[in-house]
Amino acid sequence: MNAPTGVDLAAIPERIQAEVQRAIQRSIKGVEYFSTSGPTLGSTPKDVLHSRGTMSLYHYRPMTDEIYRVPVLVVMATTNRGYILDLVPGQSFIEFLLKRGYDVYMLDWSAPRPEEKRLRMEDYVLDFIPDCVRRVQADSGEQDISLIGYCFGGVLSLLYGSIFPEGPMKNLICFTTPIDFREMKLFSNFSDRRYFDVDRLVDSVGNVPPEMILSSFEMLRPASRTVSQIQLWENIWNDEYVKSYRMFDRWATDTLPLAGEYFRTITKDLMWDNKLYNDTMSVGGRTAKLENIKVPILHAVAEHDHIVPYDAAKHLIAKIGSADKEEVMLKGGHVSLVAGANAVKRLWPKLDSWLGARST
Amino acid sequence: MTDKITDPVALWQKMVGEMEKGFNSFATKAMETPEFSQAMNRAGGAAAGAQKQFGDLMEKYLLSLNLPSREQMTGIAERLQSIEGQLGEIRSMLNQMSEASGGSPVDAAPRPPRTKRPPSESGGSK
Repeated sequence: MNAPTGVDLAAIPERIQAEVQRAIQRSIKGVEYFSTSGPTLGSTPKDVLHSRGTMSLYHYRPMTDEIYRVPVLVVMATTNRGYILDLVPGQSFIEFLLKRGYDVYMLDWSAPRPEEKRLRMEDYVLDFIPDCVRRVQADSGEQDISLIGYCFGGVLSLLYGSIFPEGPMKNLICFTTPIDFREMKLFSNFSDRRYFDVDRLVDSVGNVPPEMILSSFEMLRPASRTVSQIQLWENIWNDEYVKSYRMFDRWATDTLPLAGEYFRTITKDLMWDNKLYNDTMSVGGRTAKLENIKVPILHAVAEHDHIVPYDAAKHLIAKIGSADKEEVMLKGGHVSLVAGANAVKRLWPKLDSWLGARST
Repeated sequence: MTDKITDPVALWQKMVGEMEKGFNSFATKAMETPEFSQAMNRAGGAAAGAQKQFGDLMEKYLLSLNLPSREQMTGIAERLQSIEGQLGEIRSMLNQMSEASGGSPVDAAPRPPRTKRPPSESGGSK
């Protein structure tokens, strides 16, 4: 029977019963939540090919009987851990690539130690990436390599490709990669040169603490953390929800410090002077113009990315010198673009069809 | 089954979602102002200075307790890292020597052949 207001009175007892059951489940699962650790992340079998300070180069063990000729080197963002691309079986981008027949390597980062505060942009672009590329060549026996850069890993890959247009780099894939830093409006305001004394910060703390990096990210959506905790409590009876929450929460809060000198360059050259967009960027005295990149490039951007807004990323394809270039905008946010259920359905198949055709 | 209009739980969830959007939007507007940047960086600069002073003080305290200083621990870490690096280089040299003599790398499983073609060329997925 329906009340005049449209309320289905007959359904109310059923609804109350369901809510009571969920409340009981919340109590049980809530205790479980605090007494257990989350799922094991980044467990796809791999070997450490090389490790030097903050840099680690992994090789993932192939999962198919034959693989594409061209190996893939994933360059992770320096602010976060690489396991976002290797969460759990079935939700791992790395596992997906391996099962589709790619030979996958990853350049991942650990927290720079205090004495690594002097690492400069030059160390990342002119040393770490070329070193890893050489090691991938030696390990795979192939000269060609495809690079995949996520977020700031994309920026580093672009700088590498601009400075070394002859490569080795056969294909370049960037995920949510900013080039117009003026359009990262909040970050731009946080680091306003009139008020932000980057020299004083770096000179006093050395490496920029991870808490500061994490706070900057969280300030982009200040209510979201609290709301996500409310939503966790509402859904704590749902094992799949909790598993997903724990994976992403652990990754998001596992932020890395940034090497001081490197942070100084990012602030001055990219945030303040927008040099990459203005074609005035140089690293170690070597010009880095995006038009120098001539290899096939795919840029995947997220429709609702609050960290790298589309306006900050949209000029990349236009400025690249390649003839074979494509931008693809997919639903999702900065992280859900590359990891999680949406990525499985949207980005990964698109990337596979694009890269597979260029990996023989 | 209740619909979303009359379901109090759904209404609550919707309200929380709207509050989140509203607060984020309001805060974003506030944080885009130069006044916010000025205030934030003033507070941040003071915190960074305090953190540095606290770190220096802590180091002196540890020394007074005859505990190893951060510099000494870092030195040990550097030596360990150097040893790790040398082990890696030795392993790499062993692999090269093994490959040069016609064998497979000493610690690696056989690699699959690099013959895969994209499904569009091979007529289906593998």
